[in-house]
Amino acid sequence: MNNYDVVVIGAGNGGLTAAATLAKQGLNTLLLERHNIPGGCATSFCRGRFEFEVALHQLSGMGNPSFPGPLRSMLDSLGVVNEIEWVEMKNLYRVVVPGKMDITLPANRKGFTDALIEKFPNEKEGIAAFIDLVYRFFTEVIGAFYMRDPEISPQKYPLYFKYALADTQTIMDEYLKDPFLKLAISVYWSYVGAPPRLLAFTEYAAMIFAYIEFKPYHMKHGSQVLSNALVDSFIKNGGDVRFNCGAKKILTGQGRVAGVVLDTGEEITAPYVISNASPMATCGEMLDREHQNEEFFRQMGGHSIGPSAYTLYIGLDCPHGDLGITETTNFICTHTDMDRSFTEMKMRDNEPGQMLLTCYNVSDPDASPPGTTQIALVDLKYGEPWLSVPPHQYYDYKYLYGDKMLSVVEGLIPGFRAHIEEVEVATPLTHMRYLNTPAGSIYGFNQFIRDSRVFGALDPGIPGLYFAGAWAGGGGFQPTLMSGGSAARAVAKKIRQERG
Amino acid sequence: MTTKDIHTQIEGYHRVLDDVKSAQRYGTDYRIMKGEVARVLDLLHPRRLDLRVSEVIIETPSTKTLRMVSETGYLPPFEAGQYINLFVETAGVRTSRPYSISSAPGMTAYYDITVRRQQGGFVSEYLLETVKPGDRFESSGPAGQFRYNPLIHGRELVFIAGGSGITPFMSMIRETTDRGLDRSIHLLYGNRLEGDIIFHRELKERAERHKNFIYTPVISEPSKKCSELTGLISGDLMKKVLRSVEGKNFFLCGPGALYDYCMPELEKLGVPLHRVRREMFGSPVDITSDPGWPGEVKKGTRFTVKVKGKGDLSALAEESLLVSLERGGYAVPALCRSGECSLCRVKLLSGKVYQPRGAHVRASDLKYGYIHSCAAYPLSDCEVLL
Repeated sequence: MNNYDVVVIGAGNGGLTAAATLAKQGLNTLLLERHNIPGGCATSFCRGRFEFEVALHQLSGMGNPSFPGPLRSMLDSLGVVNEIEWVEMKNLYRVVVPGKMDITLPANRKGFTDALIEKFPNEKEGIAAFIDLVYRFFTEVIGAFYMRDPEISPQKYPLYFKYALADTQTIMDEYLKDPFLKLAISVYWSYVGAPPRLLAFTEYAAMIFAYIEFKPYHMKHGSQVLSNALVDSFIKNGGDVRFNCGAKKILTGQGRVAGVVLDTGEEITAPYVISNASPMATCGEMLDREHQNEEFFRQMGGHSIGPSAYTLYIGLDCPHGDLGITETTNFICTHTDMDRSFTEMKMRDNEPGQMLLTCYNVSDPDASPPGTTQIALVDLKYGEPWLSVPPHQYYDYKYLYGDKMLSVVEGLIPGFRAHIEEVEVATPLTHMRYLNTPAGSIYGFNQFIRDSRVFGALDPGIPGLYFAGAWAGGGGFQPTLMSGGSAARAVAKKIRQERG
Repeated sequence: MTTKDIHTQIEGYHRVLDDVKSAQRYGTDYRIMKGEVARVLDLLHPRRLDLRVSEVIIETPSTKTLRMVSETGYLPPFEAGQYINLFVETAGVRTSRPYSISSAPGMTAYYDITVRRQQGGFVSEYLLETVKPGDRFESSGPAGQFRYNPLIHGRELVFIAGGSGITPFMSMIRETTDRGLDRSIHLLYGNRLEGDIIFHRELKERAERHKNFIYTPVISEPSKKCSELTGLISGDLMKKVLRSVEGKNFFLCGPGALYDYCMPELEKLGVPLHRVRREMFGSPVDITSDPGWPGEVKKGTRFTVKVKGKGDLSALAEESLLVSLERGGYAVPALCRSGECSLCRVKLLSGKVYQPRGAHVRASDLKYGYIHSCAAYPLSDCEVLL
C-alpha cells in the first residue's frame, strides 16, 4: 500500500493539476497536503454569512468553448471544466486616481483602445501604435513558440528578437506621454508584482493579449470549487489523497529519488516526486545535505523572493449598487508613480499607493447572500518587513495598514466602512502561515527581466524530482495550474520510456 | 537553431545575462534559511502547545480557573476573545475542548482557562475534579474569530454574557482596562444565582477604577437579599441601562438559550444584525431537539460508520461524527468543535448525516460531500474518508 509511481507534495494549484494529470494517465499517485483542505491559494473560508474567495481575482487563459484558451484545454482534459459554472467578465478593469482619473477598459481590443483614446485624445496615434505593437509582438510569440516553428530567426520574428527582454517602461515611454495614461495601460503589473520598469515586455504583452482575447473569468463559489473538482477527478481516476499530512523528507537511493517520509514518520516508496512546496523547503529542508545540488542552489541564489500581500476580505451588508460600485476589478491609485508603488511594497507603514478592489458580485450575483456584497481589497507587500515584528506586537500592527487602505476607499466610496459586516485581515505573515512559503510569497520568485526562463529553468539536480507551482512556473492561477500539467507530463514520459 | 541559440540573439541578451550572473554571484544561499519559515510561524501560530497547570483557582463552587504555563517558557500572542483547544484523555478516549483564554493578552507568562461544570460534560467534570498543579496538557495554538476588530467595531461595545460565557469577555475587559485602550465597554452578565457569578469581585473593582467600563450583573433566580438587577437580559432592561444602542457594537457569548432569547430582543431594539457578534459555544446539548432534526431517527439509535481503508465503528445518532471517531480511536484534527473552523473536515462517501444550520461549510464542500465531522450527526450507516 505504500508504493506509488509518483508522490505529489502539496495540493496547491500546481500539485492538484500534476496529481490529476498523473492519475488520468493511469499512474499510481499519492497526493499529500499538510492543510485540511486542498487549493493552497485557491481556497475560500467562511466568516458569518459570507464565504470569502482567498486569491482568485481574474482567471486568464480560459477563453470560451468555441475559442478555448490553453487553460481551458488543460482543465477540459482533466474533466473539470463542466463541473464549474464559469463567470466571464466584460471589462478588464477600472483604474481610478480619485479626483484625477477614472477609466474603465473593456475586455476587447477595440473597446480597450477606444476607451483610452477617448480619455487621452491627444495621444490617439501613440495609443493605437502601442496596442498594435503588443498584438504584433505577441502574434510572433504565438507563431514561434506556441506553434513550435522549427525555424525561428530574427528575420522571421523581428519584434520578438527586439523586444522579448526589453522593459515595458522604456517601450511605453517611446509611445505614450501622460503618466495617467501609462498607469491606465500597465496597471496589471501588480498581477506579476514587477513594475513596468522591471517587467519584461513579453510578460506584459502576454497578459494584455491573454486577458483581452480569452477574457477574464471567475467561477461560481470561488476557486475552492476548482480545487475540489481537481481532487474529485484525481480520486475518481484512482489517486490517493491524504489531507493533514505533510512530507518531511524526500528519500533518495542510488543517486535518485526513492520516496518520501511523512510527518507521521511513515515511509512511502516512489521513484518520482513532484513538489508543489517551495524549492527552498523541497531541496533545502527535505533533501539530505549530500543530495543538495550545488549548481541548483547557486542558480536559485540569483532569484529573489517575490511579494506577499496585505489583503482585506470584506463582506458588506448592502448590495454593491447602493455604494455605486459598478466594476468587478478596480485599481485604486493615489498617484501615478509605479516605481514608487513598488518601493512601497517593501514598507509596512506607507500610505497606500496602488490597491486592487475586487467586487465579485458585479459579475456574479451569487458571490454572497442576497442583499450583501463580497469584496477583496489587496495591496502587494513584501513579507520581509513583517518578519521583524515582535510576536507580541503583531496584533497591534496587524490592523494598522488595513485602516489606511479603508480610509482611501472611504474617500472614493463614502459610507463604505459603515457597511462592513465582516472583515478579515491577511498580512504577509497570514499568507506565510497558510502557504508555508518563505516570507509569505504568493507569486514564488520575483519575476523581473533577469528571472526570465530564457536564462534557464531551475533543475533540482537529482533524478526523479520535479517542481510544480509558482516557484517553478511563475505566479498566478494560469501559470501555476499549467505548471503542474507540464511537470506531470514530463514525469509520465520518463516512466513510459523506462517501461518501454 | 537550438533554443539557446535563439535566446542569445534576443536584443539585450548579454546585458541581462551579466545581470543574471551578478545576481547569482551576490545572491542568497537559501540553505542558510533552513527552518526559517517554521521558526517564524512557531512564534506566532504554533500548532501545538505543551502546557503545565501552575495553579488551580477556585472561582465559584462550580467553576475553577486553570492557570497554564508553557513547558518551553514561551506562549504565543493572541487576540483577546480567542480560545485554545485543550486535548484531554479521559476514560480511555482522547478528545479535546475549546476554552476561551480569560487572561489578558498582555499577560505573557500564562494563559488562564476558566472551566465551569457542564451537565453531563465528562471533560469539564474531569478538569474540575482531577486536575491539579503540575499536570501537563497539550493544546492547539490560540484561535477563533470572536474578537474586537479595530477596523469596524468602533469605540462603544456592549458585551452580553451568560454563565461561563464571561471568559472571552474577561480577556477583553482586562486588556482594555489594563492598557487604557480608547474604547468603552458595558458588560451585561446574566447568571441564575448570585453565587454563580464568575469574576464578580474583579469586575466590580475594575468598574470602580475605570470610567470606560460599566458592569451590570443580572440575576434570573435572585435570593431575597439580592441587590443586583433581576430577570433576563431583555430589550427593556438593555434600553434602561444602555440608554441608546445607536452606534454600539454588541458581542454575545453564552449557552444557546442566551442567543435564542437575546437575539430577538436586540432586534426589537433596532440593533442591526451586522452590529451583533456571537461566539460559537460548542456542540448543542441535545441535537435531536434541533428544529431541523428528522423525527424518525430516535435518540440512542446506533449506526455503523465505516472509515475507508481503516475499519468501522458504531456511532450514536445524537453524537457528532467527530466524537464517535474519537471514541473509536481515530485521530481527527479538531479545533473549534463548533462547525466553524473546518479542521475536522472529512469526505462523506455514502450515507446521510444531519448538519445543523450555522455550520460554516463551504459551498463547494457541500457539492463534493465534505462535512465538518464536529457538526455532522449520522442518520444512517455511513462511510467516510479521513
